[in-house]
Amino acid sequence: MPKEAEDEPRRAEALLRVEVDVTIPNPPVESVEIVGLPGAFYSGTHLTLQARVVDITDVVRDDVEVVYSSSNSGVAAPDGFGGLDLVAPGTTTLTATAEDATSQVDIRVARNPTQRIELTASAEEARTGDVVWFEAVGRDASGNEVEDLPIRFLAAGQAANRILAPGATAQIEQDGAFVAERSGIYTVTALAGGHSDSVPVRVTPRRVNKEIEFVGQGKVHDRRTSDLWVWEGTDGRDYAITGTWGAEGHAYIWDVTNPESIVLIDAVRVDARTVNDVKVSEDGRIAVISREGASNRKNGFVVLDVSEPQVGVRILSRFDDQLRGGVHNVFIHEEHVYALSNGRRFDVISIEDPTQPHRVGRFELDTPGHSIHDVWIVGGVAFSSNWEDGVVAIDVGGAGMGGAPNNPVKLGSYAYPSGWNHAAYPYRSESTGKFYVIAGDEAFPYGELGRDPRAAPPRAAGWIHVISWDDWENPREVARYQVPEAGTHNLWIEDDIMYVAYYNGGLRVVDVSGDLRGDLYRQGREIGMFLPYDSQALVPNSPFVWGPQPYKGHIFFSDWHSGLWAVKLKDPEDPNRIIGEPH
Amino acid sequence: MHKSTCRQPWTAVPSTLLLAFAVLTGSALHAESDLTPPSREYYAYVCAESEDEVALVRFGPSGIEVTKTITVGSFPAETEGPHGINISPGGRYWYVSIAHGNPFGSIHKYETGTDEWLGDVRVGMFPATLDVAATTGLLFVVNSDFYGDHVPSTISVVETATMTEIAQFESGTMPHGARFSRDGRKLYSANMMDDELVEIDALRFEVGRRLKLGRTTHSASGHGRHGDHADSPAGHGAHGQPSVEPSWVTSPTAGGLVYVTALSGNAIYEVDTSAWKVSRRLETPAPGPYNAAVAPDERLLVVTYKKGDSVGFWDLEEGREVARVPTTRRIPHGVAITSDGRFSLVTVEGVGGEPGVVEVYDNGAFRRVAQIDIGKQAGGIALWERN
Repeated sequence: MPKEAEDEPRRAEALLRVEVDVTIPNPPVESVEIVGLPGAFYSGTHLTLQARVVDITDVVRDDVEVVYSSSNSGVAAPDGFGGLDLVAPGTTTLTATAEDATSQVDIRVARNPTQRIELTASAEEARTGDVVWFEAVGRDASGNEVEDLPIRFLAAGQAANRILAPGATAQIEQDGAFVAERSGIYTVTALAGGHSDSVPVRVTPRRVNKEIEFVGQGKVHDRRTSDLWVWEGTDGRDYAITGTWGAEGHAYIWDVTNPESIVLIDAVRVDARTVNDVKVSEDGRIAVISREGASNRKNGFVVLDVSEPQVGVRILSRFDDQLRGGVHNVFIHEEHVYALSNGRRFDVISIEDPTQPHRVGRFELDTPGHSIHDVWIVGGVAFSSNWEDGVVAIDVGGAGMGGAPNNPVKLGSYAYPSGWNHAAYPYRSESTGKFYVIAGDEAFPYGELGRDPRAAPPRAAGWIHVISWDDWENPREVARYQVPEAGTHNLWIEDDIMYVAYYNGGLRVVDVSGDLRGDLYRQGREIGMFLPYDSQALVPNSPFVWGPQPYKGHIFFSDWHSGLWAVKLKDPEDPNRIIGEPH
Repeated sequence: MHKSTCRQPWTAVPSTLLLAFAVLTGSALHAESDLTPPSREYYAYVCAESEDEVALVRFGPSGIEVTKTITVGSFPAETEGPHGINISPGGRYWYVSIAHGNPFGSIHKYETGTDEWLGDVRVGMFPATLDVAATTGLLFVVNSDFYGDHVPSTISVVETATMTEIAQFESGTMPHGARFSRDGRKLYSANMMDDELVEIDALRFEVGRRLKLGRTTHSASGHGRHGDHADSPAGHGAHGQPSVEPSWVTSPTAGGLVYVTALSGNAIYEVDTSAWKVSRRLETPAPGPYNAAVAPDERLLVVTYKKGDSVGFWDLEEGREVARVPTTRRIPHGVAITSDGRFSLVTVEGVGGEPGVVEVYDNGAFRRVAQIDIGKQAGGIALWERN
């Protein structure tokens, strides 16, 4: 305590301080269990061992070293790298040890009846990025399939001669999915117990590249532009609505019927500093805009009549009950607005009568420190993006699991380590019928804030995560689209083409047809990119692309610094022209 | 570009243009007819909540100006909302609460003068007012949780050398305002939705005493809706309707008095912290008293009227408002009084795209003598004794 407690106005910083080093260990491991063992064990083969480690807090741990041992290394011997060599017929006891926990399992190794391996491929030729499926079976002397034979796939090959120092060029996963990033000749080999078979595959360049040409721009140079939505009006003309960020609460209505001449036809101003999100109903009559920074701290959203944009856009209603903390994103689905509340949950508000919105439901995770950033609904299933909690699928009436707008039912979730999950776009592949959720990151790890218009914009990081999600309980991340040194924001997928707003990296258009594995960027799937340079922009010549939407043959996108843009793909003037090096 | 008036109001500018005159009533605190220019410079760090900026404002003989703006937060594409700000007791550091996070807000530490960022720590939901105890160096911040369901929230305790949250304990529903006693043993805060003033034991990290200031009405369903699904999907989150909404508490006077503004009660409560009772209830003639500060001589109380778009000057001896001055824009927010008692610096949020404002009032004449625009939604303000 200071000598003079009344010593005003200033005293020193804390006068007494004791520092004590404290070490907080992880909780001790309570159990370890060897899992995923096959039904049979054959001499001469090799297994990759898996263990499930649980600590005393019931958390499954993947950061604890597991040591394996065998009671009879003449039968089976751990290789020190998490694998197990099955040496000779006999029995042995495998022991897994994690900290002080151990578990054992007895295995019996049988003579390997395999006489040959048969390897087949789904195709002899493929383009970079195409997945070729390999299947391998072991046959005994009678030609019968050897059940539970652990077969390993390997891929090797030679990239095309014109590709110099290509780096890693192809991959094969142990489910038999092969994909190459570079053209060339590759050989896939299946191995089991001293037997092998190999199949070559020829990979050619994907050649999907197009040029993206400028069509038109609705310039917004005095404030930042946020999200956009483009729709066909009831009068048959085409319109777009864009929000504004950190400004005066405007949403702008544009006539984009002729994308070469985008015309601002109306502006709606609400009590907000940011209209972050804008959405239009399926019938093109109702728009909902979100509010943040309301001067009375009652944010919520505003419902607009956009049925006659040429006549004017009218405010039909405002809704802020329990949404006062700011609505960052909204979605309209079957006369309901799904609105984020203060980054904690989404509320479901009926706009069956758009002049009288009323809440019918809400959904909130129960994980510690949960947070939500976005929600997108397709076919009665909501996909929310929740930062560290990842993507969550929720039945709101379309999944047949009892969900409804007034009773959202969680179906499953998928999280990834970075905790950067910002957006999610559900998509059923037209070419394969497989269901994916394409999740996008948002991250600014470089510490720049860059809101000063005189300064360079901040640099983003993060990428696109391709999640295969045909089974609600078993989502699996299978591919990525990662542009080095740039970061993602919003995205859209249509006709097996993905459009990604990549902030400083501009607009990216990506071929997502077929099966998706590996790194789509490196596979030459990028169709094109466009950087919206504008010397008169709020921050001149500094692309910061916010959100894309393909529409009637054009691609519209919003740029934070310069407004609404329309571009379109066109065939390259010289199809053989290569920027950089070939794939 | 920041817009200012009264760069040298005492010499160069016609007072009719620049001086906002107060509504005056007779009082022992006499309004001085002549303005005396400041003889020294004053500095204040001021939050612009919808700009994610902190402005360093200088007011002195040469007028008022923004000497620097510091962009705060960590997410360029989100508005994170710097709300509360304070200076360490020794004046070496300033701390700002960043209200929005994912979902929790944070406290950021900067060095005064250089404004170098030194560290941050995640705390609770919508951290707002903060204060640092001179005796322990611990920072207490109320997690106001303005926008969540009206359930009890917490106060975080931060060890500022390492910027580590060392405790978080429940205080009440929507705590706001936080000021330490002079010996750093007690922290006073108001729970807006519980209509109560609380006295925190700042060494035990717990609420010591509660003083009810109004009658909060509770719905039958009571508190608490958590988890995936609300117990009533269409239900409303307001579980208690406060009658007075205490929003701020001043630093205790030498005699142990604190003044609590009641935002919807349109009153100021004088609380004797020794007796732990309301010693006076002062009805405000303007609605929405929000923040307040007591002058060093403990005779003057300056109050911002959030719903009345004005600043009130109260004679504490007589217990009445002696002057009130309309603010230049809407929604006045914070107030800080210079250590010599001569001036009050008031922040005004503004509406929509309007800039926020820092207004300077002469506490002798009850007149506005300077103003300057800063970023949108000016809020928290802390005076910095540069020397």
